[in-house]
Amino acid sequence: MTPEGISELISRVSLRDRAAFDALYASTSAKLFGVCLRVLGNRTEAEDALQDIYVKIWNKADRFAVADTSPISWLVAIARNHCIDVLRARKLVAAELDQAADVVEPSPNPEQSAVAKGEAQRIYDCLDQLEAARAEAVRAAYLNGDSYEALASRYKVPLNTMRTWLRRSLMKLKECLEG
Amino acid sequence: MSSIPPEDTIPEGDDLIAAEYVLGVLPAEERRAVARRIETDKPFAQLVARWQHHFDPLNEHFAEASAPHYLKSRIDHRLFGTEETQAGIPLWGSVIFWRGLAFAALALAVIGFGRDLIEFPTTEPAPQLIASMAADGSPVRTMAIFDDQTRKLKITVVAGDIPQDRSLELWLIAGNEAPVSLGLLKSPQVTAFDLPQPVAAKLRDGTTLAISVEPIGGSPSGAPTGAVVAAGTVRGI
Repeated sequence: MTPEGISELISRVSLRDRAAFDALYASTSAKLFGVCLRVLGNRTEAEDALQDIYVKIWNKADRFAVADTSPISWLVAIARNHCIDVLRARKLVAAELDQAADVVEPSPNPEQSAVAKGEAQRIYDCLDQLEAARAEAVRAAYLNGDSYEALASRYKVPLNTMRTWLRRSLMKLKECLEG
Repeated sequence: MSSIPPEDTIPEGDDLIAAEYVLGVLPAEERRAVARRIETDKPFAQLVARWQHHFDPLNEHFAEASAPHYLKSRIDHRLFGTEETQAGIPLWGSVIFWRGLAFAALALAVIGFGRDLIEFPTTEPAPQLIASMAADGSPVRTMAIFDDQTRKLKITVVAGDIPQDRSLELWLIAGNEAPVSLGLLKSPQVTAFDLPQPVAAKLRDGTTLAISVEPIGGSPSGAPTGAVVAAGTVRGI
């Protein structure tokens, strides 16, 4: 479905149009379920999360009106933020930290990166300008929902050092992205 | 670069907190505090939106995965219950509330808009329909009053502005039918729409009125294309 089509569905959902809600679910749930599975890494939690996310979408659809973003980005942001909230609410157990260290880092898919054009390409170019380990930490945080605590454990550095690292990386990223 | 402090200090600032929120690295409590701030602090919310926009392209790495079929019916059950009930705000069904609003509207007409909004009944009161239109997160609040005798639908913008570079378009949605355009809102005070009989016939208890943001001159397609900034259900009083 085109972004315009999804925008229209969200607008109709804000009018309490249930047929539009069904269509919106049909055309976007696979993407959002993918987000849940990736961030939560657990099917049962991902299923619970997806239900909460669509309840939120139904209730917050009118906010899309004032959000200056593409509809699918808006939906993914709701899903990602919800999953990260769930993740942070979990007690961080040692097993999870160990597991975090074993996560095979998704290197940016070269095919997809090559397809990304213009503005979308920029984040990849700017990440490439960071040291490899730091760029990887940024990507792992965004895509896997890693916390500062998990990152510090993985890179075997104190929490404050991790925060300094990441914040400096973010400043360099910003200079590159907006410079 | 000069704006990046020396290696041994932690860089500070709202922009970095916004970026950390978007990345998702903050611990639970800090994250909740930032989420609350986004709701109330608009400049800060804009920093968050900007970072989110920068990172949006990475979303392509979330591979699609079909959700099991039973999830959708669970969602529907949570939102709409088992019966075919109307998912509305109970207050809106209350006659007392609507009568109260009608008096408020009358008072508003007297104080703010003179006779523009409501023509005072001369002999016996004609049946009137009223709708309050609003949407969470949108500054626009409007009120609609329909006079069955004159077939005039009057809309007043109670709060919010009509944007300079866009048009606000009024829609009527009857049941499951496609939205019908009633025209553009022209004045921030009162815009009167003359409804042709077939359209007026559709305007009754339960019909939805909605206002969307459209390019100047109105929707090019004849259907709403922009965000809905206000909506409400028509009630008889």
